[in-house]
Amino acid sequence: MTPMIDVVFLMIIFFICIEFKVLESKLDAFLPTDKGSQSTVVEPEEQLSIKIHVESKGVPGYKAPGRAGVLNPETERPYRFVLKGHRVRYEVGPKPLSTLQQVKAELDRIAADPISQIPDKKTGGKKLMSCVIEAYPGTYYEDVAKTNDAANAAGFTEVNFGGGLGEAK
Amino acid sequence: MDMTPMIDCVFLLMIFFVLVIDLSQKNLEDLILPRAEFMEPDESPPEGRPIINVLQNGTVIYGGDVYFDPTVDGKNYKKIAELLLNIRRDGLAKETLHLVEKDGLAAKVIDDPILIRADKWTEWHFVGEVMKQCSQPQIAFWKVQLALSDQDKETNEKNESIK
Repeated sequence: MTPMIDVVFLMIIFFICIEFKVLESKLDAFLPTDKGSQSTVVEPEEQLSIKIHVESKGVPGYKAPGRAGVLNPETERPYRFVLKGHRVRYEVGPKPLSTLQQVKAELDRIAADPISQIPDKKTGGKKLMSCVIEAYPGTYYEDVAKTNDAANAAGFTEVNFGGGLGEAK
Repeated sequence: MDMTPMIDCVFLLMIFFVLVIDLSQKNLEDLILPRAEFMEPDESPPEGRPIINVLQNGTVIYGGDVYFDPTVDGKNYKKIAELLLNIRRDGLAKETLHLVEKDGLAAKVIDDPILIRADKWTEWHFVGEVMKQCSQPQIAFWKVQLALSDQDKETNEKNESIK
């Protein structure tokens, strides 16, 4: 029996530890490097704006014994909450939309539209215009990440982040 | 003499410590990252890449220490700037960070990435604030990476690729 128990133990520890480790990836976001230096004049390019507004802020739900404003004595970090009833609405260009599915469909439509092609100064050809995600106060990382994912899915390769600085009222 | 149990135990300890050390060096806080289909896998990140953790309430944690707590510091984001300046100075001294070799830039820009890990229910303006501080000319981290996951540990939704 002993070798079997040993091996099972080893596997348990291995899988417990591996659980935290994997499944992380990243989104590269490059910030402007030429802040403050006005060496070149850049012509403004046409951009598609995707706005995220907060419809209802949502209520943080804690698992007992967690509650707001108290540190977990084991980790010395605040307890984690799950936001319930958080709802946002979107604005893609001038069009107001209420769900992420609609945003995806609208972005697909725009990406397929030849009007969205703008001149590419580097190659001299055409490219899809860039889009800017404007997260209004009170939006969460989740909203921005999901919207960015929808833009990537539609084929937008250049996504900028704008706004979002400022707290919810 | 029977060596097998000893070898078993040693193996077990080895695997345990390898994984635990790997975890502690990565300075990862226990967060749930948003799920995204389109992202780059974080394979072989550069050694010594700074990792900034942003908790749900906006607390900024680096290397397991709290550097900015909105419940204490309010809207005084100077501490984030100081933290980033320290990371920049230490990284340049230890040569884990390098300056970009390009003329015509007013700021001395760091050419190495910095990872921002935020919980999915972290308000975006806290993430935006860290990014804003990163772009300050005296700090000048320009390759900011946002951490994402291919599964949402809160809802157990998974990407198609790992189903």
